[in-house]
Amino acid sequence: MKNHQSFRVKFRFIGLLFIMLCTSILSFGQTQSVRGVINSNPENEPVPGAIVLIKGTQKGTVTDFDGKFTIEASPGEILVISFVGYTTKEVAVIAGQTNINVSLDISTSDLSEVVVVGYGSQIKKEVTGAIQTVNEAELKDLPVSSVAQKLQGRLAGVQINQTTGKPGQGMSVRIRGQLSVSGGSDPLYVVDGFPITGDINQINPDEIQDISVLKDAASTSLYGSRAANGVVLITTKKGKAGRTDVNLNVYTGFQNVPVKGRLEMMNAEEFAQFKKEYYEDAKQTVPDVFQNPAQYRDKNNDWYDAMLKTAPITSYNLTLTSNKEKVNTAVIAGVFDQKGVVVNTDYQRYSLRMNTDYQVSDKINIGVNVAPNYVYDNTPRTDGTRGTGILFNALHTWPVMDIYDSNGELTYFNRFPSNTGNIFAYPNWVRSAQEITNETRRTNVLTNTYAEWKPIKGLSLKSTFNVEVSNSRFFSFSPSTATSRINVAIPTVAQSNRDDYSSLSWLNENIATYRTAINDHSLEALVGFSNQKFRFDRTAIQADTYADDRLPTIQGAININRNASFTDVGEWSLTSVFSRLNYNFKGKYLLTASVRTDGSSRFGSDNRWGVFPSTSIGWVISDEGFLQNNSTISFAKLRASYGVTGNNNIGNYTQYALVNNTINAAFGNTVAAGSGIISLQNSNLGWETTSQFDLGVDLGVWDDRLTFGYDYYNKNTTNLLYAVQIPQESGFTNFNDNIGEINFWGHEFAINLIPITGQFSWTVNTNLSINRNVVKSLADGIDRVYGSYHITQVGQPFGQFYGMVKLGNYANAEDLANSPKIPGRSTVGSIKLKDVNGDGRITYGGDNDDRAIIGNPFPDFIYGIVNNFKFKNFDASITASGSQGNQIYMRHLYSTANLDGVFNMVAKAKNRFRSPENPGDGIFGTTVGGGNVTGIERDWNNSNFVWDGSYFTVRNITLGYTFTKLPKSVKSARLYFSGQNMWVFTPYWGGSNPEVSMQNNGQGDGGNLSPGVDLAPYPIPRTLTFGVNVTF
Amino acid sequence: MKKYIPVFFIASFFLTSCEDFLTVVPETQLSSATFFKSQKDFEQAVNSAYVPLRTIFNDRAWLLSEMHSDNTYYARNVLFGATDNQEDLADFSVPESNGTSANTHVLNQWRQDYLIIARTNQILSLIDEVDFDAAAKANIKGQALFLRAFAYFELVRYFGDVPLHLTPVGSREEAALPLSDEAEVYAQIISDLTAAIPLLLNKSKQEAGRATEGSARTLLGNVYINLKKWGEAEQVLSPVTTGGYSLMGSYDLAFSKNSSNKNNAESVFEVQYLEGSAGLNGNFMYQFMPRPISAAELKPIMGTSNPQNIDGEGNNIPTPDIIAAYEDGDTRKNASIGYVELKGSFRANKVYPYIKKFQSNHSQHNNHGMNWPVYRYAEVLLFLAEASNEQGKTSAAAGFLNQVRSRAGLQATTASNQTDLREAIFKERRVELAFENKRWFDIQRTDRIQEIIGAYGRRIIANPLDYYYPPLPGAVPRNNAFTNLNKYYAYPAAESDLSPYF
Repeated sequence: MKNHQSFRVKFRFIGLLFIMLCTSILSFGQTQSVRGVINSNPENEPVPGAIVLIKGTQKGTVTDFDGKFTIEASPGEILVISFVGYTTKEVAVIAGQTNINVSLDISTSDLSEVVVVGYGSQIKKEVTGAIQTVNEAELKDLPVSSVAQKLQGRLAGVQINQTTGKPGQGMSVRIRGQLSVSGGSDPLYVVDGFPITGDINQINPDEIQDISVLKDAASTSLYGSRAANGVVLITTKKGKAGRTDVNLNVYTGFQNVPVKGRLEMMNAEEFAQFKKEYYEDAKQTVPDVFQNPAQYRDKNNDWYDAMLKTAPITSYNLTLTSNKEKVNTAVIAGVFDQKGVVVNTDYQRYSLRMNTDYQVSDKINIGVNVAPNYVYDNTPRTDGTRGTGILFNALHTWPVMDIYDSNGELTYFNRFPSNTGNIFAYPNWVRSAQEITNETRRTNVLTNTYAEWKPIKGLSLKSTFNVEVSNSRFFSFSPSTATSRINVAIPTVAQSNRDDYSSLSWLNENIATYRTAINDHSLEALVGFSNQKFRFDRTAIQADTYADDRLPTIQGAININRNASFTDVGEWSLTSVFSRLNYNFKGKYLLTASVRTDGSSRFGSDNRWGVFPSTSIGWVISDEGFLQNNSTISFAKLRASYGVTGNNNIGNYTQYALVNNTINAAFGNTVAAGSGIISLQNSNLGWETTSQFDLGVDLGVWDDRLTFGYDYYNKNTTNLLYAVQIPQESGFTNFNDNIGEINFWGHEFAINLIPITGQFSWTVNTNLSINRNVVKSLADGIDRVYGSYHITQVGQPFGQFYGMVKLGNYANAEDLANSPKIPGRSTVGSIKLKDVNGDGRITYGGDNDDRAIIGNPFPDFIYGIVNNFKFKNFDASITASGSQGNQIYMRHLYSTANLDGVFNMVAKAKNRFRSPENPGDGIFGTTVGGGNVTGIERDWNNSNFVWDGSYFTVRNITLGYTFTKLPKSVKSARLYFSGQNMWVFTPYWGGSNPEVSMQNNGQGDGGNLSPGVDLAPYPIPRTLTFGVNVTF
Repeated sequence: MKKYIPVFFIASFFLTSCEDFLTVVPETQLSSATFFKSQKDFEQAVNSAYVPLRTIFNDRAWLLSEMHSDNTYYARNVLFGATDNQEDLADFSVPESNGTSANTHVLNQWRQDYLIIARTNQILSLIDEVDFDAAAKANIKGQALFLRAFAYFELVRYFGDVPLHLTPVGSREEAALPLSDEAEVYAQIISDLTAAIPLLLNKSKQEAGRATEGSARTLLGNVYINLKKWGEAEQVLSPVTTGGYSLMGSYDLAFSKNSSNKNNAESVFEVQYLEGSAGLNGNFMYQFMPRPISAAELKPIMGTSNPQNIDGEGNNIPTPDIIAAYEDGDTRKNASIGYVELKGSFRANKVYPYIKKFQSNHSQHNNHGMNWPVYRYAEVLLFLAEASNEQGKTSAAAGFLNQVRSRAGLQATTASNQTDLREAIFKERRVELAFENKRWFDIQRTDRIQEIIGAYGRRIIANPLDYYYPPLPGAVPRNNAFTNLNKYYAYPAAESDLSPYF
């Protein structure tokens, strides 16, 4: 398997460097000269840099570039041959034997792996922080567009949700449950040492060699004021020592949205029946069109289904890697083309990466990586609330309205007579999706260059210069024949939006690293300083009222909408000094300490510099005498860390008092420019501070066939950026300040097991995480912050669902008479709510009403399981992940269960309250009484919206076959089938995606204050693909 | 170690220059560091202080004053919920707890008034430190003082005691102030306006639409009348009669139209709107329409090229009471009230009255440029009539009153004693100034809330069909209607939550 090879080779290379540094501790012996070659098994390639040591002594040597060694040894002595990534072997020296060839097997343990850490790498055994790594082999077969999708289910302590199925969008990544009231909570992504400012999910995942996820403060604090949300280090591909490979990986397949799992709505007949009952129950005349519901039996219009289709997905990746003599090159060219499962949605990516390292001399290395990519995506306004998102609109459009006319053409506009309660007019949503353009073209060029000078042994001086250039052009056009809004007659006003964005980020880093080992003491010291600057320029123009839909130009518009047209510039700069010390004694007592000082333009002028220290210790217990020969425990390590990190996602200019110069007035018929101060200055504004403690255990038993990792963390985030509300008698709404404290804690378990080895092999990787938080304080005098359907309150976890507590429906007149109620609104059969404040009546609004916490969007725990099987030439893997105990706010019920019959309804509403004798299943109340009665149930946030969102998803199933009989020119070939998002098991009935989280406008997830809201977003498709992977 | 010296040199270079590197000021926005430096800055600042008036008069004032009186009501549309905020104002049922209310319109009125106050406080606190043309400076100060007084006069009439901010807020601690007595607030209003009068230009010299000497005098006159200081009112108002103002030839010409008749000879102070896409337009005519109204029904009223259906619940619909209040032959009746038939209505009689007096054709749906008349010369005459009558100058009072009646096509008043004339002026104000947000304040300042509103509420509860309720089950006035006949609104709950003082 090619990918495994590349890893070992890479470790071999880094191992070589490491061993060179350590040669000073090895002394040479004599007596009998033994020569040999160390080869790898099964590839049978020479292993350079392997250590050959005479057991029980300090005598030893290191293999050369061809894997050869020479050593003086006495007969009877034992040679211990070791190399990272391989199982250590012992060979006895026999008298007269001068040639010993040894082949090293792949290690089942990964403890000797080299792990990429901030500003360097470390042997996994010596790592004292909480770091989890994923390599390309684990990611390769998944037919998805982004890295984050590939990581779902694989990382302990990291919750990755796909909040919408829009191609190329919607991934939410939270490390250790980190949250902030108003600052960003996404982790920092560092690609080849460069913290990027663009979207990580735009990067072709095939360019990635490995990923390190840094979770605790000791691992992240070298990234200072940007580290509090965790850091994800991404290393892109390099060539393998001594070889040139050309690899082609192609897969193609299709995606669809399974019917099972969709929100079940009424069909035309059921809806007509509902309407009929609605009028009957209200003792009103049933409109003619609903007199006979059976007439619609064969005339159902499933509007939601009409929005969906089966769509192809295709990916090509061509990779050339070469590492010969002094040049190491990797070139990856990729084409990814995903048509969406919603009509007229589309995502394409064309990417190229060229990584080159050149060894100028023994002391000087230089390298250049250049990675341009281009992404095109077109997604009409699928997501959003009623009147914003086309899918939501389609979902609750009357199924008695025609999608197609008698000629089979899409209708334009549907409206029933006004006496039928059809108060909203519906355009044809299929037409809207087809005709509305909503496209983004992004170009991104990521470059890294470096020069490294090693003037003396152990010292490296490295200077890097990195540039990221991004450009995106957004264009949307809604012609006069289509709209994503509800109740707009067709033809309507055609409108275009343009938003051009370009950004430039550059980073210069200068780092000195010194490594030395004196007897049993190993030391690595690092100091560096860096400067980074970012700037974006943005121009947005909205124009409307077009003479001709075929010419959506700016000049073709009659009207330019000044309020939605603007230019914007944003800039920040960051200057940093950082240092780290790694020390260990005999490789078993480990200590790391680091500190970074960040100065940021975002911080107030009186609070410009932040200091972020950390320290961590480790103890490899299994190296102690009492465990060294233990047959059960093969490895044991304890580690602990503490550190301080920051979050500088506080906005670029938040500290300044800003003047708005477009508060214009009119005098007579002329416009007069007006200006006013719109915010208050805070020159003390600073970063959010997180101090984190971590305690970890790593354990390996039965020769590491079972490994176990556990981490406990406890962190406090203080100085949260918050626009503290102030009374508006001041003329201002907020004061931007650092306030409050949130305590987070959690447990992470990772168990890797190899139940079966040999011809049939089976490995299992599992993880489980528990993340908790509680808000300790907010600003003085403020104990709560309201979100859309949420509250963040002192003494409670963040972002809890908040609303009225539903007790049922008023069963009969007696129940109504004897229960607290809403004066003038409650009736028999209407929603019965709990009188939380005990004042005898039901009130909604204000701080002392009857609302309470009614649900939790955060899970009790999340988990993932990855199974890999191998039998002869066949391989298989199953990846699954789940979430337990999280709840979802089924917000779409405010329309899809609107009891006034103005929209199509969820099928469950068939079983609503109709009379005291026929009370239904208690979920939905009476339709009688109009908005004054039914409005309570839909307009007041209440626990009827909150449903269990636990799920278990089989993310991926892959089956592969590797060919062994190959033509000479082909090094390897594999054929595979891969199915993504195969099955979702969940009690959630409100839609197909239990990972949902949405804003009302459909532009992104609900954020920290308002998570877990379902407004029927773009569904996540099931994807079935076939692929071929050939290496030449 | 010599070869590392360049590295440390570079390092120190970066560190010493980093204060510059780290100072990044906003490029596309001005900040406090760069503003309030020139005459132009202050001109722009005072312009921005007028802006909240657009929101107040388009979206709030008519709800808090006109619909909160016997002149207008809402036309119940049972298909829509979330209408409580408006209905509570019309039904005198605004819920109160601990002296606060969650009514969104009350809150927004408060906030917009304090926005005017904050913007004018910025100007008044900084303008004397910047040196520029004295005449321009006087004009800006005069406008700022007028606007601040205007905002406080609204607040004191809606709420009574309110926080009195006279300097800009600079920190979180200064944001809230204790309540000041009504008397203290009135004293400040009088002092601001007394200072503003000599600073402001006469209407003939001032740019049309801005506050003038006449505006400030009329506002101060209104303040005195509210305080029943009749002599002071007469004294400050009398010069307005010689200030170049006159009644327009016919009543319908008194209003600004979409663009042609703005700030006319009768106009003393108008809130300025401008049709178009610049966001300076109004849409109050649309808010005053009974609903659901179709595009076809709307088109002849608005005259736009793109009429659209409007759903929801219509507000500010003239009541049968105001329709009956016009005397026979009053030309103002037809000029003020129009009728439209709504096919989508559930009522047997699908014809609804609507406010017509501001109406003027415009081009785009929901976007018009009619100004809102805050003070017209007709009201100055009625103020003078009232101030004179209260001082016993009955014939002078009748003279002022008859100028207004004569323009409306009516005979001179028959009232001849102070009491009758007081009632005649009160009635005249109702019809002359109908739908101009005067009615509630007239009832409030004459202490006639229980008498007038109490009776009005009983009429609605007894005859809901006459007040636009549809004949549907449950479509009747809510059981808390007309239970809160307080003189002042309760303080906004959202502000109370953040202030330690109320």
